Amino acid sequence: MTWVILGAVVAAVAVVLVALPFLREPQADDDRLDAPTDADARRLELIESRDRALAALKELEFDHRTGKIADDDYRQLVSPLRQAAAVALKSLDEETARYGPAMTDFEPPVPVPEPAPPPDEGTPPTPAPVPEPYPPPDEGTPPRLPEE
Amino acid sequence: MADLGRAALVVSLGLAFYALVGGGYAAHTGKRRLASSARNALLACFGSTLVAAAVLATALARRDFSFVYVATHTNRTLPTVYALSAFWGGQEGSLLLWLLVLTGYGALAVSLNRRLLRDLVAWVVPVFGGIATFFAFVLVAVASPFDTQTAPVDGAGLTPSLQNPYMVAHPPMLYLGYVGLSVPFAFAAGALLSGRTDERWIVATRRWTLAAWMFLGFGQLLGAHWAYVEVGWGGYYAWDPVENAALMPWLASTAFLHSVMIQERKGMLKVWNMVLVALAFELSLFGTFLTRSGVVNSIHSFSKSPIGGWFLSFVVISSIFSLAVILWRLPLLKARTRLESALSREAAFLYNNLLLVALSLTVLWGVLFPIVTQLVKGETRTMGRPYYDFFLRSFGLPLLLLMGIGPLIAWRKASVRSLVRTLTWPIATAVVAGVTLVAVGAGSSTPGLIAYTFAAFVLATIVVELVRGTRATGSLTMLIARNRRRYGGYVVHAAIVLLAIGIAGSSAYQTTREQRLVPGQSTEVAGYHLTYERIDPIRNDPNRTGRYAVLNVSGRWNGTLRTGQVTYTGFQETDEDVGIKTDWLRAQDLYVIANFDKGSAVFFKILVKPLVNLIWLAGIVFVLGSLVALWPDAREQRRLVTRLAPAQA
Repeated sequence: MTWVILGAVVAAVAVVLVALPFLREPQADDDRLDAPTDADARRLELIESRDRALAALKELEFDHRTGKIADDDYRQLVSPLRQAAAVALKSLDEETARYGPAMTDFEPPVPVPEPAPPPDEGTPPTPAPVPEPYPPPDEGTPPRLPEE
Repeated sequence: MADLGRAALVVSLGLAFYALVGGGYAAHTGKRRLASSARNALLACFGSTLVAAAVLATALARRDFSFVYVATHTNRTLPTVYALSAFWGGQEGSLLLWLLVLTGYGALAVSLNRRLLRDLVAWVVPVFGGIATFFAFVLVAVASPFDTQTAPVDGAGLTPSLQNPYMVAHPPMLYLGYVGLSVPFAFAAGALLSGRTDERWIVATRRWTLAAWMFLGFGQLLGAHWAYVEVGWGGYYAWDPVENAALMPWLASTAFLHSVMIQERKGMLKVWNMVLVALAFELSLFGTFLTRSGVVNSIHSFSKSPIGGWFLSFVVISSIFSLAVILWRLPLLKARTRLESALSREAAFLYNNLLLVALSLTVLWGVLFPIVTQLVKGETRTMGRPYYDFFLRSFGLPLLLLMGIGPLIAWRKASVRSLVRTLTWPIATAVVAGVTLVAVGAGSSTPGLIAYTFAAFVLATIVVELVRGTRATGSLTMLIARNRRRYGGYVVHAAIVLLAIGIAGSSAYQTTREQRLVPGQSTEVAGYHLTYERIDPIRNDPNRTGRYAVLNVSGRWNGTLRTGQVTYTGFQETDEDVGIKTDWLRAQDLYVIANFDKGSAVFFKILVKPLVNLIWLAGIVFVLGSLVALWPDAREQRRLVTRLAPAQA
């Protein structure tokens, strides 16, 4: 009998837990589920584009420094990537200006050393010397891009 | 006490069903309080399942034979640790463990993401609810662990082969892996159902997927070691259908872990990733079906049971559901970019994906073949070891090679010139290794030689990557700390190389001798001199009978080795108790199996397995690498918050 009562207690606790949102707010003023608006979705898309473009730039820099990409290829690839990153940042700024800042928890990006400029024609084929330890591409805060 | 267990399971079923129906309705109509209520139902479902699990664990610990399950799987002489491990030693207990882990994972994943992914979680809850409803229903209506009877004096006991420390850890580890794959599945399905197919579900479930993959991989290695020391046939992987059942979702999730990086970096392969997540989950369900239904013959299979049909139906329904939502949301999953070059990191990942999925589907066909032939021809025909070995070599060796090439190719586009320059050292190392191996006589096995050469190549690429990365950043610690995922992955690659060396060494270069000996006779195998001394019968042991052959070993090792056959009281099966002597310096084993003939004569099977212990070492390295990749990263968490914040606006 004790076990049956304990079973009933388990059921009662479960019912209370399930009913809790309704017990707390018997008359909710706003019972709508938070869902991102189209503007939020658009901003999210732009953030993803920005992160992707910046990560691609950092990857390219790192691949260049570790010798995976030749100087010629680096020169060829870096410009479109910078352009893509700049476009993504600009679009995001415009979107934020239009709808106001949405990211309440957003932390300002931590400045990191600027990406090395593309080697000039006269630059020897080895990667440019690194003035200070350069962080590898990571999951961290995206760097600021130099002004185009 | 059984009443409490039954009541708790009925409550779990009700709560899971409410999470499915109420949660689905709330997500569809956008009702906030109902969605919270459904989420609470999922949390409560974990609580009530925990109560049911505690009841069964208590009954097992107390040897309460009024529970049919306890009487069937334990007895009074069974040590408590094995009595508790009987929780997953039988069908009903295993299903309860499935439900417990599922609701635990679901409750935790949903709770952790409820603020950041509010819109997505509303759809994730009913998906978890649907899976939990199925398992709770089976436990309540088809295979209850709480059936009772008039308590017998003693129980039947636990199958002797399961009375092993590995069997205490191996099944729960596999379950953590199998069930863990339901987390990415539920979030992927939630993303599709809600129409929010951005990358938030990937970011939120990355660690869950990695953890499930780690448990599944490590669980398989534990199982392999159990087979090696306990089953006593001289090997560690027999391509048994149930072993394959764990391998298939692991291969599919390995493919996903690689291809998801392409989606994160380039926004490509969205459909493919959804398919892989669904495939991994369906294969984990299929694996449970294979284990539980008894539809194929396997040392792991439980006797034919009524749950097979239910499981198959659920696999079919959930597969149709997965396919339907992917097709429905196909327009949202279009890629924004294209593959820029066939010579790039993403292309290498793509080739790796194709090989992994091809291997997984090849294994699936091998598993299904007996069922298909039974249905079509009325006779069961099985795929033997040569089938699996052929495809393992055909897909596995190119995979090993790609594991070396992939990290050294640049993203987007690499030129042949820079690739050749980058690969110079690894290729030189591989050539030197290959030539050296041929010189020392390892050329007897072509697949073995190729595996070793490729392994040297991969190890060299890892070293080159670490050296160049350290040069570029100035610090190895910073290099790894700033990108744990990548360098954790390289440690896992090193583990796979150790595994490949261990497998190649212990199979391609194994020495075997079978010989009938009488006491006093000797034989010589690969530098070991073995003399059969005598037979030692087991005396004064109420739990087991049997005998051991005692061998005196000299040569590479001096000492005594015992190997025999043991029958446990109350069980018909005879277990091989093999004699194993490990040479840690060479990582090789001397492995002796005894088959008793008339009188005191014994047929000995003696195996010398070079490098076999690297397989077990690989397991430890694999876990270490996975933990490095899994380790929480504050910067990544900040990035997640900034990424997800717009959804809360």
